[in-house]
This record gives sequence, structure tokens and C-alpha cells, in this order.
Amino acid sequence: MALDISSITGAGSLGGVGSAGSGTVAALWENARAAIQAPQASAAAPADGGASFAAALTSAVDEVQGLQGTSKTLALQAVTGDLNDIHEATIASSRAAVSLELIATVRNKGIDAFNEIMRMQA
Amino acid sequence: MTFDAIGIAGTGLTVHRKWLDAVSDNIANVNTATSTAGEAFRARYISVQADQNGQGVHVAGAAWGDAGGRMVHEPNNPLADADGYVRYPDIDLGEQMGSLIMAQRGYQANAAVVDRAKTTYEAALQIGRN
Repeated sequence: MALDISSITGAGSLGGVGSAGSGTVAALWENARAAIQAPQASAAAPADGGASFAAALTSAVDEVQGLQGTSKTLALQAVTGDLNDIHEATIASSRAAVSLELIATVRNKGIDAFNEIMRMQA
Repeated sequence: MTFDAIGIAGTGLTVHRKWLDAVSDNIANVNTATSTAGEAFRARYISVQADQNGQGVHVAGAAWGDAGGRMVHEPNNPLADADGYVRYPDIDLGEQMGSLIMAQRGYQANAAVVDRAKTTYEAALQIGRN
């Protein structure tokens, strides 16, 4: 599988706050899984599989970006006294932290796989 | 929702926070006297309903205590009517303190669920790392 590592490491594009609420991280994780499995189903287009894995990862990163935006907004409300529920802010922060950890784990797995392939002897 | 257990426990936290608000309002007004011409302070009780599809719980609305309250003979009270009566809210402070403890413990239990869920998800991320 041709793993387009440059597009993965550049996946952040840290300007994309908002992310238009396109599906949950869980759904994106499904997409990523489907993308990984796709080349097995049709070995004809491995490059396409790699690209869509990168795309899934990119949108997952955007999703995490959105969660962190929410967390930041609520933290701001907490210090300005506009916050109704303390737990909303702390839960948003927890959710953003776990999501980030999830996406970091997925990314690290991808990098590990790439490194493993690079270590292969001809 | 992204991480269901955290979101569901969050709805529980919101409900208990609102219950806590209602109880504190009732306790704050336990000695609020009014004239017999008007209504007594009406105790606030929240009614709670389970969400559809196991998505937690939400506050459906508020129920209100008796507007008649209880008549107390206080001729020296400036609010007293010709017969010397004022209205006090019909709130049982002991019952409110009981509700207070239940609301507090419920809130703490849901907060514990959020914590455990986060730890659990983090454990899931550790699978296969070593």
C-alpha cells in the first residue's frame, strides 16, 4: 500500500476550525478503516487507498480541531462568567483530549507501518 | 455523540445541577413570608424524563408547590393582614435537605462516570502499544 506520508504529516492544516460538523470521529474512524481495507478488496488501486486514508485522517484532525474549538469557547465562557454548567466545559475538554489521543494513536500506527516497510530488506 | 458514556453522564450532570438549583431556591425561600392577599412562594420541583434511545436524561419541566402555603399568625409582621396572618411557603426543610444530599450524590456519581469513561477510552488506546 503506497502510504502518502507527506500528506499525512501535513494533514493538520491548523486553520480549519469549525469543520462544519461533518460526522463524528467514530464515523471518520469507520471511514479510515474502510480506506485501509479498500486496497485488499481491489488491489488495482493501492495509491487511491493510501490517499483516502490520508483524507480520512485529515478530516479526523479537522474534527478534533472543532472539538478543541468548542472546548476553548467554553473555557472562555468560564472565565468571563457566561458559563451555565461547569461540567460542560470540563467534559468538552475531556472529549477533545481523548479524541486527540485517538487521532494521534491512529497517526502513530500509520507512521509505524511506514517505518516498518522502510526497514524491509530488498 | 462522539464518546457516548461521557455525553450520557453529561446529561445526568445537567439534570442534577438543575435539581440542585431548584433545591437551593427552595431552601433560600424557606422563610419568605408574603401577605395573605398574594401567593406564597411556591416550591420548585423538577420533573425528569429519560431520553429516547438510551441517550441519557433531561429535565422535562418543573412542578410547583402549593401557592396557599401555610398561614402563620404574626401580628407584628408588616405584611400581616387584618387578622394578623401572613403566608409562609409550605416547604419541609428536612425533605429539602434530603433532596439536597441526593442531588449532590447523583451529581458526584455522574462525574465519576465521566472520569471512568475517560480512563476506559484511554485504556482502549493503549491496546497493542507495547
